[in-house]
Amino acid sequence: MDFSLGSLQESKELKDSYDLIILGGGPAGLTAAIYARRSGLSTLVVEPLITGGNIASTEKVDNWPGDTDGVSGEELANRFTKHAERFGTEFLYDDITEVNLSGNEKIIKSGNKSIKSKAVIIATGTHPRSINVPGEKEYKGHGISYCATCDAPFFKGKDIVVIGAGNSAIEESLYLLNFVKSITFIQDLPYITAEKILADEIQKKENVKFYFEHLVKEFKGDGNKLTSVIFEDRKTGETKEIKTEGCFVYIGLIPNTNLYKGQIELDKYGYVIANEDTITSTSGVFAAGDVRVKNLRQIVTAVSDGAVAAYEAKKYIDKLNGGN
Amino acid sequence: MAVEKKQPRVIVFSTPSCPWCRKTKMYLKQNKIKFKDIDVSKDMSAARDMVRMTGQQGVPVVLIGNRPIVGFNKPLINKLLGIK
Repeated sequence: MDFSLGSLQESKELKDSYDLIILGGGPAGLTAAIYARRSGLSTLVVEPLITGGNIASTEKVDNWPGDTDGVSGEELANRFTKHAERFGTEFLYDDITEVNLSGNEKIIKSGNKSIKSKAVIIATGTHPRSINVPGEKEYKGHGISYCATCDAPFFKGKDIVVIGAGNSAIEESLYLLNFVKSITFIQDLPYITAEKILADEIQKKENVKFYFEHLVKEFKGDGNKLTSVIFEDRKTGETKEIKTEGCFVYIGLIPNTNLYKGQIELDKYGYVIANEDTITSTSGVFAAGDVRVKNLRQIVTAVSDGAVAAYEAKKYIDKLNGGN
Repeated sequence: MAVEKKQPRVIVFSTPSCPWCRKTKMYLKQNKIKFKDIDVSKDMSAARDMVRMTGQQGVPVVLIGNRPIVGFNKPLINKLLGIK
């Protein structure tokens, strides 16, 4: 596949201030940008990695309405980006280092740049949760991975372990099965938590095995690479060991909200507290997508949030400017 | 007059859908660094070479001269390529 910079061009000359700054260029942020630009707001998207968010590294998206045969995550991410670009969204690809969200003038610092805006939409999404057991840090990248579409080729023909059995775990495992010989799942709960269509599909495979109600305790290795996973039966307390050179971890997500602590209300898990209207506890700050407290984190719910957030931001800015 | 130093050989080991790989390549292109991109999902012998060289079973790995850099390590890439 060609690597193209086509849709990842940073805007040449950034302004000092915008009507709206959107933090994060995933489905929520990009949709917010489309709606904001269409309503006439000058809009900057700040994205630390690449646009598209978690879908950019998803092999196949099978529940995006209209794409009847499914669509590659990368393609969908590129389409969202190009759509936002078409309406004149500006982009800055860099880390967000500091934010000041109080008052009528918001300040976002990124690298050596300091940019002002009237409103901010937080759409910074989530990152994979670490399992925090001995050996994880040591063997990360040496057998332990969090990204199947990145690292699957290194485990061709091998018997691997997947920790977790939620949507991400099963979706990524269905992709991994194109490479690996077998997958053993270790899941803390007594059942597969992924949606039924995925659960049915994985259970049809002959080369998968499930350990339910088991907890991973340790990763062991030879100093260079992973050699086994130690896990425990939650019911009996029995310790087990499975020999493997590869382990993919999908045990949930952590919201990317460290920068906003103390400036907006977060729940005990770190998600931004905001209702369906995406309005946060801080005036002029809106939260959209996976970063917001919600029950269902999907592309369709993220894009919905994005549209609502842009609408609310426009209303807020109009009021700030003395309009209706 | 200052003589511009020749850029060392740069190889990026990557897979097509790995976000940090795309970020790495985007960064190198933005800084006008010439590099060879090796897709380890298609070139299994290159994948084996990469693992042998680095012990790393994940991408991206950037080889600058003979120095392998694991992940998108911007400060180290900047230092080795003189990017300011």
